[in-house]
Amino acid sequence: MAAEYTVGRTDDLPAGTHKVLKVGGREIGVFNVGGSYYAIPSNCLHQNGPLCSGSVSGTIESRAETGWKPAWVREGEIIICPWHTMEFDITTGVCLAEPRRRIPTYKVTVIDSEIKVTIP
Amino acid sequence: MSNVKESTLEGRAPKKLPKGDKVIDVDVHAHETPAALIPYCEMPWRKSLELISKAPERYLDIPFFAPQMAVWSPPFPQSGSERRQVVTSASLVRKDLVELVIDIDVFFPDKLLLLAALRDGDYATAVARAYNRWLVDEWLGEDNGMKGAIVAPSQNPVAAAEEIRRYAGHKHVAAIYLPSCCVDPLYGHRSYDPMYEAAQETDLPVLLHSVTAIYPVFPFNLNGFTTMFSAHIASHGLSMVANLLSIMETGVPVRYPKLRIGFSEAGIGWVPWIMMRMDKEYKERRRELPFLTDLPSTYVRQMFFATQPIEEPENMKEMATILSLFGGEKSVMFASDWPHHDFDHPNKVLQIPVSPGVQRDILCGNAARFLNLKEKI
Repeated sequence: MAAEYTVGRTDDLPAGTHKVLKVGGREIGVFNVGGSYYAIPSNCLHQNGPLCSGSVSGTIESRAETGWKPAWVREGEIIICPWHTMEFDITTGVCLAEPRRRIPTYKVTVIDSEIKVTIP
Repeated sequence: MSNVKESTLEGRAPKKLPKGDKVIDVDVHAHETPAALIPYCEMPWRKSLELISKAPERYLDIPFFAPQMAVWSPPFPQSGSERRQVVTSASLVRKDLVELVIDIDVFFPDKLLLLAALRDGDYATAVARAYNRWLVDEWLGEDNGMKGAIVAPSQNPVAAAEEIRRYAGHKHVAAIYLPSCCVDPLYGHRSYDPMYEAAQETDLPVLLHSVTAIYPVFPFNLNGFTTMFSAHIASHGLSMVANLLSIMETGVPVRYPKLRIGFSEAGIGWVPWIMMRMDKEYKERRRELPFLTDLPSTYVRQMFFATQPIEEPENMKEMATILSLFGGEKSVMFASDWPHHDFDHPNKVLQIPVSPGVQRDILCGNAARFLNLKEKI
């Protein structure tokens, strides 16, 4: 059954930061990406590493639009698993190496400066 | 060491081949000699060919022209093959191919399988041009199912692009042959971009094809081996692996999304192995390959693979399993390698227990798509 958990106050989670905590018996990460809040489980779909203990980062892409030159993009939107450096889009849960696979994303709401995460 | 026995193919046509089914063979070898290319070669390199034509010839090995360098392991009689291993004319090989029930075949060179080993880029380019003129002039003149792969000199990718554009309109030029033996740099290097651009633009597929050599470039630095057994396996298989890794590194399949890429003469057993290894490694090192937008296996599944020299497990059902591991049912193409020592008869492919539809695709349909053949099959 879905449950809502208060995970902290917005003052404690400025843009560009994240924290890892346990709610409802599971470890999750809560992120502030440019003023928007996101939450994902701290479980890498690769080998179940502690995903959210990794670094928040941008990533490298090389596309036709940049003349196939490598470009640094999506700063602050990527979480990197500390075990094998698998990259995930924090905002969608999509795995960058395997775009057909993703980790779940949890609904985050802010009420009276309190950040609440709904775990299904 | 090559000998001149006549055809041994008579009466050995596959019994299981359903009537009306066509067979396309993506690897047959013409026999270009330095002497044959003399009238087709520009100066001053014609002078070189005149000299080289006097040099003694070994099987796939002529100094200055096809420098195999694999001369330090002792040969044995009847190790490899005692058949005639060269076809000296278009009419002779056509007769062989009728006996092999092959309807359409794609010609590669013999000696110039070693073209990439030539270090003088101007000379190599002149020899490649001469070969292409000779092939078109003497082998591809009739509507008899004989198609050709023109050779792209790796030493000069701009000239290679010119050759591709020059011959793309010829009705029997069906592919571009990328000499993969001793090639340096490997085929992912950005210097080859003009060549891939021309191939994509002209809608001609590229086929990588190696041969045995001992040479100081990866993966041909095979001096650790003492037998052709080892050198032959490594020269073909590891060359395909190395070049596939290289073209993946620089995103060739992404940067040229319409380019059709094929791999020849390494069998197919290596494909699932390297595909899975690439996927595994990519997960940790995605940032090193920022061109890719999906797992490397996604791109491998869009490439084509020729059967010969096909693996021969005791239980051929294992080959059906291997096909299934990389979608080979839709990408594997029959190749005979006729008349070389390790040629495969269509009989062998017919021993793989797959559905009649898949059998037809391997013998014909996949190659027809790869070559984008215009004529009715």
